[in-house]
Amino acid sequence: MQAEIADKKEAQVGRWPGTVVARLTARGAARSGVIWGSIFAIAIASSAISYSGIYKTLAQRDALAVAYGSNHATSALLGPAWQLQTVAGFTVFKVSMALMILGAVWGLLTSTRLLRGEEENGRWDLLLAGQTTRRRATAQALGGLAAGVFTLWAVASLVTVLSGLDSKVKIAAGPALYFSTAMVATAVMFLAVGALTSQLGATRRQAAAYAAAFLGVSYAVRMIADAGVGMHWLIWASPLGWVEELRPLTVPQPIALLPIIAFTMVVAAGAIHLSGTRDIGASIVPDRLATQPHLRLLSGPTGLAIRMMRPTVIGWWVAIVLSSFLYGFIARSAGATISRSSVEGLLSKLGAPGTGADAILGVCFLVLAALVAFVAANQVTAARSEESGGRLDHLLVGPLSRASWLWGRIRVAVVVVLVDGLTAGVFAWLGAASQHSQVSFTTLLAAGLNIVPPAISILGVGVLALGVWPRAAAIVVYTLLGWSLFVVLIGGIGVTSHWVLDTSVFHDMASAPAVPPNWEASGAMVAVGSLAALLGGFAFRRRDLQGE
Amino acid sequence: MGVAAIRTEGLTKRYGKVAALDHLDLDVVEGEVIGYLGPNGAGKTTTIRLLLGLIQPSEGHGEIFGLDCQRHPIEAHRRLAFVAGEANLWWSLTGAETLHLLGRVQGQVDKAYREELIARFDLDPTKKVRAYSKGNRQKLILIGALMARPDLLVLDEPTSGLDPLMEQAFRHSIHEARERGQTVFLSSHIMSEVEALCDRVGILREGRLVEMGTLAQMRHLSALTVEATFSEGSVPDLSGVPGVSSVQVDGRLVRCQVRGSVEPLLKALVAAGVTELLSREPSLEELFLAQYGVHGKSPDTSHDAS
Ligand SMILES: Nc1ncnc2c1ncn2[C@@H]1O[C@H](COP(=O)(O)OP(=O)(O)OP(=O)(O)O)[C@@H](O)[C@H]1O
Ligand SMILES: [Mg+2]
Repeated sequence: MQAEIADKKEAQVGRWPGTVVARLTARGAARSGVIWGSIFAIAIASSAISYSGIYKTLAQRDALAVAYGSNHATSALLGPAWQLQTVAGFTVFKVSMALMILGAVWGLLTSTRLLRGEEENGRWDLLLAGQTTRRRATAQALGGLAAGVFTLWAVASLVTVLSGLDSKVKIAAGPALYFSTAMVATAVMFLAVGALTSQLGATRRQAAAYAAAFLGVSYAVRMIADAGVGMHWLIWASPLGWVEELRPLTVPQPIALLPIIAFTMVVAAGAIHLSGTRDIGASIVPDRLATQPHLRLLSGPTGLAIRMMRPTVIGWWVAIVLSSFLYGFIARSAGATISRSSVEGLLSKLGAPGTGADAILGVCFLVLAALVAFVAANQVTAARSEESGGRLDHLLVGPLSRASWLWGRIRVAVVVVLVDGLTAGVFAWLGAASQHSQVSFTTLLAAGLNIVPPAISILGVGVLALGVWPRAAAIVVYTLLGWSLFVVLIGGIGVTSHWVLDTSVFHDMASAPAVPPNWEASGAMVAVGSLAALLGGFAFRRRDLQGE
Repeated sequence: MGVAAIRTEGLTKRYGKVAALDHLDLDVVEGEVIGYLGPNGAGKTTTIRLLLGLIQPSEGHGEIFGLDCQRHPIEAHRRLAFVAGEANLWWSLTGAETLHLLGRVQGQVDKAYREELIARFDLDPTKKVRAYSKGNRQKLILIGALMARPDLLVLDEPTSGLDPLMEQAFRHSIHEARERGQTVFLSSHIMSEVEALCDRVGILREGRLVEMGTLAQMRHLSALTVEATFSEGSVPDLSGVPGVSSVQVDGRLVRCQVRGSVEPLLKALVAAGVTELLSREPSLEELFLAQYGVHGKSPDTSHDAS
């Protein structure tokens, strides 16, 4: 396999030796660009079309505008709302923050994978042997990434322009293109950021962590700017803020393209410069290569799993702590706007009937449920990579049964998602309590527990995949997660087919705390997950270990 | 004869239509050091992964110390340690952490011996695996296996990437293991290593065991190379002598191969007035190349590879 890749690459080196890095990077980036472009497209189109379907009358649209128009809590979270009475305005409000973050995450993951990741795997050694300088190679790789983001933009733009043609949506091609460009802008900037952090960190994981931290700071800065505390000027200090200030489809402000372009250029130039000042495989930030041994956890496979997963798990835990606290924090003021404006029905369409803070939190816990499910999916792929990377061999040639290894991993995963769920409940309560909301601790703790069962189902299906089709385990869990979220989205716009809705792991989850948790449905989900895991475990015991 | 450390009966592994391993019957006596040879893709790694229970046989079965590899892997694994040719380890752990982990998983560690091995292989255990060179990572898993002092060492190209000094350290360690009565199953491409260490050698080709025996036995089966120089004008025709083949004449020098008894050849040589005689046994490398040099032919007809 490895040799095959090397052969392929050598053949390509032969054709146009000068551009091999650019072409390989472009190919890798374009492939995922198409997939993510489609996700962007689905989000934009479904939102635009659903809006015109649900909010048919002007009165309904006005009510929506009142509910969100001047709500600082939601603007801090999602960005400011402009012209919610129009399809365009609503679409921007509903999808843009999510797409901006998604685009940024795609950008930083893609560039750290194709730059630092490939270098870490030793592939660059092969490509660079006598062909080109480090700086030129990095410049080429950036060119390849640009080609990748172009495909993402092209797919997203095409669908945006097409859905603009819909008679109910009616968005002209020019503004539609401006919108899709704005949505891809964070991807462009974070491709560059990822290229820069790929020079700083010694591993792909480190490089991605630096870039993600920068994304977190950018988000936090723009949140303060949009929180209505008189510091709106801060919006110009955040890359996400610049994109927000483009204000597509509403009151466009193309001048905000300037900082975006300048930032991308400067960061990309910085990446190229730094790449010339270091050795291949080395990093700018010193890597601690020798340390005192920490043996406490290394007494067995389960401890090892904890040790290896710790950085990722803590990262996600912090993300859950911050977002649940934030949700609790805004729940009261956001909830107050809802009751005042009598649009309870709207939220109930999103799966959160009721009024006030509870209703808002019902929707927020869906987002938290998605995060926790993602953590579960991540545990499955981590277990699979122990096997595909050949590290599992070292454990299984000892007196350790496959079942007990797998059971150890499952135990760790269950504890992690359980802790994450309860954490979400506790910190949502802390956020709410800090604003003197009248939401009880036990209600929110139960809501936190309520988001665990979907994660358990994902975990169970993942273990089943590990048992019967290990090479596809990652695809299975992430597709199931993505599909489940998509179904929730289309469920929100009125799709009622049970056959479709029941395929989502989130469908049977009650929108606690807006409504009481449905423990029976949760129990059923856990039972299904456990059964799947059991079957997967049996299959795992009897199959060949498989590499990549 | 002691207990069989490894025994396989009709052990077969098919990938689709390709038989990676084809009805392997193997018997390794306790305390033996076995060399396991074969060209790339012959099925050596497949054999080892079957013995370790990492993959399932399509047919047949294998036993380690009488314990079925698939049905009682845990009991079997208590008595063995394994070294792979590629050290896939946890890159963020240090060498010391990795050894601690491997020891805990294995369940038995001779700590004093571990320290001795670390010194012998000149390894810095404070470094992270990520910072090790390939050879150093290989040393790490070697130490990890040797330090357990298991009854059976299963080694799949254990010295890939080691420098000659470390190769010496490895041989020393295998000699030690043998003296302690440990069984060693060594798959390798380094002929001198196998020649120096192994009591018996098995040669695998396209999933089938084509040779198995001590080096002496294998040499006996194979031809002896003889070079004879004659005085002017008396070069005889040796092609009719029983057991002699591949006769080459080069002036007064005659090179030929002989198998079986050398007596008829010696008589013919003496009669023809031989002035100089040189004969040598084939090295393992020559035996191996004879086995593979001419694809599909038996060793008899293959020429001298040197
Ligand atoms: N997972 C697999 N799927 C398909 N074929 C396989 C698989 N693993 C091994 N093979 C095939 O089985 C045969 C034997 O492979 P094996 O790895 O045992 O060879 P080897 O003797 O260890 O070779 P080398 O000296 O190169 O290590 C090869 O033809 C290989 O292509
Ligand atoms: Mg092999």
